[in-house]
Amino acid sequence: MPIPHIDFRANTQRVSPHLIAATQKSTRTALAKRAQAIEIVGEDQWQALRQAGHDIKLHALTHLDEYLPMVEARVTQAGGVVHWARDDVEARRIVLEIAAQHRVKRIVKSKSMATEEIELNRALQDAGIAVFETDLGEYIVQLAGQRPSHPTAPALHLTKEDIAALFRAKLGVDAPPDPQTLCEIARGKLREEFLSADMGISGGNFLIAETGTLVIVTNEGNGRMCTALPPVHVAIVGIEKVIPDWEGLAVMLKLLARSGTGQKITAYTNLITPGGEEGPREFHLVLLDNGRSRMLQDEIARETLACIRCGACANICPVYNHVGGFAYGAIFLGPIGAIVAPQLLGVKVAGDLPFASSLCGACGDVCPVKIPIPNILLHLRHRVVEGDQFASATVSPILGVGARVGTTALGTPWLYRLGARMMRLFQASFRRGDWLPTLPPPLDRWTMARPFPAFRSDFRAWWRRR
Amino acid sequence: MNQARAEILSGIRAALQSTPRLPLPATTRIAPRATGDADAEISRLLSEIEKLGGVTRRIANRDELPIALEELVAKESIQKATWWDTPELRALGVAEMLTALGVTSVPPDASPRTLAECDLGVTGADAALPETGTLVLRSSREQPQLVSLLPRVHLAILRPDARRADLQDVFAEIKSGKRAVLITGPSRTTDIEKVLTIGVHGPKALYVWCLETPFA
Repeated sequence: MPIPHIDFRANTQRVSPHLIAATQKSTRTALAKRAQAIEIVGEDQWQALRQAGHDIKLHALTHLDEYLPMVEARVTQAGGVVHWARDDVEARRIVLEIAAQHRVKRIVKSKSMATEEIELNRALQDAGIAVFETDLGEYIVQLAGQRPSHPTAPALHLTKEDIAALFRAKLGVDAPPDPQTLCEIARGKLREEFLSADMGISGGNFLIAETGTLVIVTNEGNGRMCTALPPVHVAIVGIEKVIPDWEGLAVMLKLLARSGTGQKITAYTNLITPGGEEGPREFHLVLLDNGRSRMLQDEIARETLACIRCGACANICPVYNHVGGFAYGAIFLGPIGAIVAPQLLGVKVAGDLPFASSLCGACGDVCPVKIPIPNILLHLRHRVVEGDQFASATVSPILGVGARVGTTALGTPWLYRLGARMMRLFQASFRRGDWLPTLPPPLDRWTMARPFPAFRSDFRAWWRRR
Repeated sequence: MNQARAEILSGIRAALQSTPRLPLPATTRIAPRATGDADAEISRLLSEIEKLGGVTRRIANRDELPIALEELVAKESIQKATWWDTPELRALGVAEMLTALGVTSVPPDASPRTLAECDLGVTGADAALPETGTLVLRSSREQPQLVSLLPRVHLAILRPDARRADLQDVFAEIKSGKRAVLITGPSRTTDIEKVLTIGVHGPKALYVWCLETPFA
C-alpha cells in the first residue's frame, strides 16, 4: 500500500517532551558506554576495525551477485529452503504460504527491521494467525499498538508507569511500575508463547556466504527461543546482510555491540547453519530485495547498504536527540533512516528526511562501518531537488538516438571529418565571440546553465599546420 | 520464485556493471589482544563474566566439585536439573553428585516444556574468550542447546584449556559445524527506562566454574 508523504517538520510539532528527555537520557548512556568500550580497544585499533568493516561490507555489496547464489547453495545443501522475494508483497506471500502449509496458528518473532519494513505482522494477523513480538521493547510497543522509537531501544518513549498501565489494560495483571517486575510478567507470558508457537520468525544480522550461516545477535535470549523451539523457523533477511566469511564476521561482531550499546559483545550470538542434529525441523530463508538492488545502482548512495543497524548515528545526531524517533515518520530513524527511507520509499514519500540534518558530520564519524552519511545526505538532497531523476533513470529517446549517431560518426573517419566541417557551419548562427550562449533543444539543457565553448578550428587542420 | 531470483540477480548485475568490484581487506586479524599466562587469562575470563552479573568460581580439585554443587543447589533451591550427556561431564560425575543431593534428573532430550520446568541446566563449554567473558557452546545431540536456554539457572563447567585469544580462533574451530551460540553473561535487557534487568528470556542466573586442572 502506498505510504503517504512524511512531513518531518509537522511531525516534530507533535513530539512529547517526555520522549525527548527519555531519548537524550538513553543516547547519552549509550554514547558514554560506547566511548569506554572503544577506549579499551584503543583508538588506532578501533579505526583499523572500522576500515576493515567498511571494506568487508563494500566487497560483499560489489560481489552480491556471487555471494547470494553461494548462500543459496549452502543453505539448500544443508536441507534448508531458500526463497527470493522481489518486494514486500512477495515476501508476505512466501511467509503466508509456509504458514498455511503447516497450519500455523501461533508465531513468535524476534526483533527484525526487515519484517517491519514489509509489515508482516498485519498480514499474518489478517490471516488469523497470532503473532507475538518477543524482544521486550518490541513486545511493549506491539501491545501499545505503536512503532519503535529507537533502532535498538524500541520502547524508549514509554515510562515504567506507561508500561505498567499498558500491562494492566492489555494483560489483565496487577503490574507495579517496576522494571524488574514488569520484565518478569513479560517473561511469564512469552515463555508460554515460545513453548506453544508452531513457527518462529527472525531477521538476521549477518548471513555468512561460505557456510550459509545465519547470525542473530540478541541480549534477551528471545532470538535463541524463536530459532530453537518452534518446529519451523523462517528467517527474513535483506540481501545486503551477506558477508563472505567467518573472518569477516569476527570483525563485524567486534564493531556492532561496542558501537551500538557499548557492550563488548551482546549476551547471545546465535550461529545457525541449517541441517544440524538440533533445532527446528524446517528452516526457510527469505532473501528480501524490496528496492535494495535498485539502491546498488547509485554509486554514492549505495554505501547505505553497509549499515549493520547499531544505532550509533541516531544516538549522536543532534537532530534525532532533539525530535526523537517518531518524527522520521516510518521505521527508518535517525541519520541512517534519513538516507535509507528516501532510497527505499522514494523521494516523493521521504524527501524531507535528507534535509532533517545539520550536516555536522557526527553520524559519519561514529559509523562503525564508515558509511559517509553526511555525503549521502547531501547527495540525496540533490536527488530530491532533481525530482529523483535517478529512480526513473531513462534517457530521453532523442538523446539515445543522438548518442548512437555520435558513436557511429566518431568511429568512421570520413564521417568524423564531415561532422567537424558541419559543426562549424552549424554553430555560425549561434556563435557570439568564443561562446555559444544558446542552443536549440535538446541541447539547450546545457546552455540553460552555462554557455557552450565554440568550436574554433578543425583539430586535424591545426595538426597539419603545426 | 525462479523468476524472482533471476530478476533480483540480474538487477544486481546491472547495478554493478560499471563499478569496480572492491577487494577484501588484506587482514581481518585486528586488535589482537596480548594474552597473559594461563592463570591471568582465567582470572580475566571470570572477572568479565562477574562484571556482567554472572557468578564464577575456580574449582581447585576433585573434592571441591561436590561442595560447590551442594552450595549451588541450596542457594538456588534446585529441585530438578538436566545436563549434557558428554564424556567430560560423565567423567566428573556431575549426575551422581546431583542425584546424591536429592535433585531430580530430567533427560536433556525431554520435551521443551519439561526442560523449561528445570531449575538447573549443566553444560560444558567448547571454548571461552577471556577478553569479553564469552562462552562458546556448540549444539549437537550430545550437547542440546535447550539445556543452556530453558532452565532457570545455567551452570557451565569449563576446562582451563577452553580459553582462546580471539574470536577469530573460535570461529576457525566452529565454522565447519552446525549450530552454536556465544553466551556472554546472563540474559539481559535495558528496554524499560534503560534500567538493567537480568533474566528476560534465557536463564536468570549464569554460573561459570573453571576447573583448575582438567582433572577429569
